[in-house]
Amino acid sequence: MKDSMKPVSPLDTSSIPCTINGSEINLNVPPAKRLLSVLRDDLAMTGTKRSCDIGRCGACMVMVDGVPVNSCLTMAYQCTGKSITTIEGISASGMDPIQRAFLQEGGFQCGYCTPGMIISVKALLDHNPDPSALEIEEALSGNICRCTGYGGIKRAVQKAIEWRKEAYESITD
Amino acid sequence: MAANAQGVAEAPFVWHPRSAAEAWQLKQTLGTEGVFTAGATLLRTQWESGLAVMPNHFINIGAIEELHGFEIDSVSGTGSFGAMTTLSHIRTSPQVGESFPVLVEATRNIAAPSIRNLATIGGNILSMVGDSLPALLLYDSVLHWHDGTNGLQEPLSEWLSTASAHAAWKERLLMSVELTLPILDSNTKRFVAYHKVGRRDAFTPSVVTAALTMQLDSEDRLSDVRLALGGGQTIPYRLESIESYLNGKLANKKTISEVYALIVEQFEPKGDTFVPVSYRKKAAANLIASELWKAARTAR
Ligand SMILES: Cc1cc2nc3c(=O)[nH]c(=O)nc-3n(C[C@H](O)[C@H](O)[C@H](O)COP(=O)(O)OP(=O)(O)OC[C@H]3O[C@@H](n4cnc5c(N)ncnc54)[C@H](O)[C@@H]3O)c2cc1C
Ligand code: FES
Ligand code: FES
Repeated sequence: MKDSMKPVSPLDTSSIPCTINGSEINLNVPPAKRLLSVLRDDLAMTGTKRSCDIGRCGACMVMVDGVPVNSCLTMAYQCTGKSITTIEGISASGMDPIQRAFLQEGGFQCGYCTPGMIISVKALLDHNPDPSALEIEEALSGNICRCTGYGGIKRAVQKAIEWRKEAYESITD
Repeated sequence: MAANAQGVAEAPFVWHPRSAAEAWQLKQTLGTEGVFTAGATLLRTQWESGLAVMPNHFINIGAIEELHGFEIDSVSGTGSFGAMTTLSHIRTSPQVGESFPVLVEATRNIAAPSIRNLATIGGNILSMVGDSLPALLLYDSVLHWHDGTNGLQEPLSEWLSTASAHAAWKERLLMSVELTLPILDSNTKRFVAYHKVGRRDAFTPSVVTAALTMQLDSEDRLSDVRLALGGGQTIPYRLESIESYLNGKLANKKTISEVYALIVEQFEPKGDTFVPVSYRKKAAANLIASELWKAARTAR
């Protein structure tokens, strides 16, 4: 029987190879377990937040191969061979300018949506360093904030764009 | 219902077939115990809301290479999209935007980027109410299935009109969807439009989804009008009698008011507690009237 015609059993926690925040890891978890639970419950990485569990709020956002995905919708087997970046991975070598911008511009109140927001902004700016207002709106359309009213978040994104530009120019000058 | 409580593991078997034939064979063997999983975004919604029970077996079709990616042939004016092509891939492709702009606009209106990174065009089609469908209907799309034989082709409009009554398609694997570009007559201008009206601006279920394409000739006459409407739980369809009515008509005020009345009379949306049928009919009629109005304004 070909390997592809054998199922991975729910009890078979034979490992799923992937990279999390730059470290290679074999996830010994049931294949259909949500990435959100793997991160929070198995790996104690609680920066990624849990809220709606159905893809509607964006609190659980992580990057998979550089693009944002909802970790509550993603199952462990869908991570095979992928590179996952969580909020912990963004600040591994000190605070990211996006995080500083959220602090400076008051881009949060309770802060629950903030890790997800920052991941979405990071994914956007890594692909498109100078997005238009419409592109920012589209990129953040899956992240819901119940506190700030979005004004501070928009200012934070503009500030992050500015700082990243300045940092880039100081390297290239 | 799926295990929803925190900490409870979800426990299906997951199969990873490498070819369409293997996937199809698995489905035949597992029957209703096995479900094809693509991005699993719609499935997750169904499991969590209790609309479907999480199956004992997932048949993950993500490893089947031929289901991924798309090809566009600008000479023949056709595009073939593998069922596993993500909505993001379509949304962000300049090549698709150039050839099939209504499809790109449709994908922009589906969920949010993070969901579109997982969600596939195949899953959207097979939901029967996906917001890509009105756009796909304009391009005379044809579905290509693997059914254990040499493959089966079926116009999307035909499949949509029978899908809820006949479940035989649930045993098949959708391989790809093929789109054909409308031919632009020389001396005509083409108009295209896609609108999704929701109760919020973005990231919202649709109340009405409308897709339209038409040509305006040098004498301000409309031709090759294609109009598809859906939204909410309405299975999208082409309003062929209204298309025929519009073909050959002058783009003017009289035509616009007549077509408004025809849509209110003929469009049959499904209503719900929040948005009744009458509202959906009017919203659809207004959307189409406003697009005709834009065309009429450019008329000489
Ligand atoms: C938060 C949220 C918001 C959403 N918003 C929208 C929206 O605005 N508009 C919209 O249209 N949809 C929306 N959806 C629904 C869904 O994301 C899309 O319909 C998506 O395109 C489904 O694709 P998928 O790959 O995730 O499908 P899946 O969930 O994997 O599959 C859907 C169905 O199709 C079957 N299937 C999938 N591929 C194949 C194949 N190749 N052959 C045979 N059977 C197959 C599966 O067995 C299943 O029954 C939303 C979903 C979520 C979670
Ligand atoms: S918890 Fe994942 S989107 Fe809300
Ligand atoms: S800061 Fe509280 S939800 Fe966004």
